[in-house]
Amino acid sequence: MLQPLLEIKNICVEFKTRGGALKAVDDLSIDVQQGEILGLVGESGAGKSMMGAAILGLIDPPGRLSSGEIWFKGQRIDQNPEPFRGCEISMIFQDPLVSLNPLKKIGDQLVETILRHKRMSRAQAIDRACRGLIEVGIDPERLNAYPHTFSGGMRQRVVIALALASEPSLIIADEPTTALDVSVQAQILKLLKKLCDSRGTSIILITHDMGVISETTDRVGVLYAGRLAEIGITDHVLRSAKHPYTQGLVASTPKIDPDSFGRSLYQIPGSMPKLDAIPTGCAFHPRCTMRTNKCSQERPPMMKDTAACWLLEEME
Amino acid sequence: MSFITAKNLVRRFDLSDPWIVRKLTFRPKKFLTAVNDVSFSVEKGTTYALVGESGSGKSTIAKMAVGLLTPSAGTITLDNHNLNDPNLSPQRQRLMRRRIQMVFQSPYASLNPRWRVGDILKEPIQSFDLIQGTKNQAKRVEELLEQVGLSPSDAKKYPHEFSGGQRQRISIARALSSQPDVIICDEPTSALDVSVQAQVLNLLKSLQKEFSLTYLFITHDLAVVSSVANRIGVLNKGALVEEASPEELFTNPKQDYTRMLLNAAPKML
Repeated sequence: MLQPLLEIKNICVEFKTRGGALKAVDDLSIDVQQGEILGLVGESGAGKSMMGAAILGLIDPPGRLSSGEIWFKGQRIDQNPEPFRGCEISMIFQDPLVSLNPLKKIGDQLVETILRHKRMSRAQAIDRACRGLIEVGIDPERLNAYPHTFSGGMRQRVVIALALASEPSLIIADEPTTALDVSVQAQILKLLKKLCDSRGTSIILITHDMGVISETTDRVGVLYAGRLAEIGITDHVLRSAKHPYTQGLVASTPKIDPDSFGRSLYQIPGSMPKLDAIPTGCAFHPRCTMRTNKCSQERPPMMKDTAACWLLEEME
Repeated sequence: MSFITAKNLVRRFDLSDPWIVRKLTFRPKKFLTAVNDVSFSVEKGTTYALVGESGSGKSTIAKMAVGLLTPSAGTITLDNHNLNDPNLSPQRQRLMRRRIQMVFQSPYASLNPRWRVGDILKEPIQSFDLIQGTKNQAKRVEELLEQVGLSPSDAKKYPHEFSGGQRQRISIARALSSQPDVIICDEPTSALDVSVQAQVLNLLKSLQKEFSLTYLFITHDLAVVSSVANRIGVLNKGALVEEASPEELFTNPKQDYTRMLLNAAPKML
């Protein structure tokens, strides 16, 4: 088996508070293969954005990566992520209006990024920026335009061009389409997929939208309360989820389906625990309809590399 | 019998430069037509959904329906009373507006952070003078909290102590507190997680049954619409391009724009 592009081994992200350390990410292991789109799905507070920030070393104090290792292309990067950030690994944020400098022309922002990471003349960098814009479907004549003259979708394209400027092998896209309309969202996802195919770039797509996961990703990891609940090939996970939480998520997503018109949606009872009150054992057990005594006492490990749930053990 | 009727609704916004700039540059006045000749009607106790992209005018229609904006032309009537009748006295208009309440998109921005939940729910009751006596009012607040699935003791808390889904429940309770006939939901679940979204949508549905409420539901998410709406109107650039029942719209869309929206919506396996 090929060595994965990115390997995350048992990382924990802790926040020190007066009430003790809170674990936003708790003993999480995941790897990303070359050229794949890995989806990370979960509700607010599940730790999905924290994962992205941990890979790039962007966790703000008082949070810190308290244990675990992150390996990228055979090098350990959790101690010193700086040389990789923005160069080998780049990030696309949720809100394109906030991630672009409103006072600089987009051409200058692109050229700045390219010159920061690549050795070349300014003229070459401008040429490169033009090609970058063409690649994401923007007229290169708009190199001298300011971000506010672009629409939301166009701005997100510029942000993608920026992320691609340093020719990274991994892009972390943190809710890249949440701020956009459905029609624009479809275009952006298509663009990301195309770039992934043509360049062999891997993408970690962080989202809470199961529809986006189903349309875009090759594999998906489901996060709950900072832990990995389930991981697998997207089709398998969505068609036959093993973890009750994943099953609930899939069932509660509204679908366009003639059978479901006017029907009530499935709802998972209760809500995600706060970080200072994570239940013992399996974090999902108070909301789980299939819980047993064991669930409240022992934390389930990842079973058969698919889901962290005691039910799988019984099935063996 | 239609309960809410919008007839040839138009709303224009004046985007002109200041007078002095226009005189110096010889530029004419500029207008933006956000809503252009929109007509629809909603039956009592049903849900009418308005769907469209950003800038299609759906929120403008919502604001006109609650009286936050006045239409440039056309009328909205509730139960055969014109909502923006200039001949109506301000008192009468206020009474009309009690019957239409709104649930906003972001539960983080629509609740006053310095007010206790009890005070937030009490304000419409006091303002419309619906229940006399502090004790009775407090009792009504407890009842409202229970109706939306919160506990009566939550009345003492502040909005920041609640999660997004719970806050949206508080917004719904506030809308219910003035005993309305119509609730306008402006993207009530787009700021929420999927599992919480399902809870809030189901709550809205059960409340509709209980109080025979009429909903005007505004959203850009076709999947959400398919589970709540009785009728759907598709808006594009301020004009109503298609109107149909969910069955018709999703199986046999007539307009290219509707088809485009349907194709763009991410589908689950």
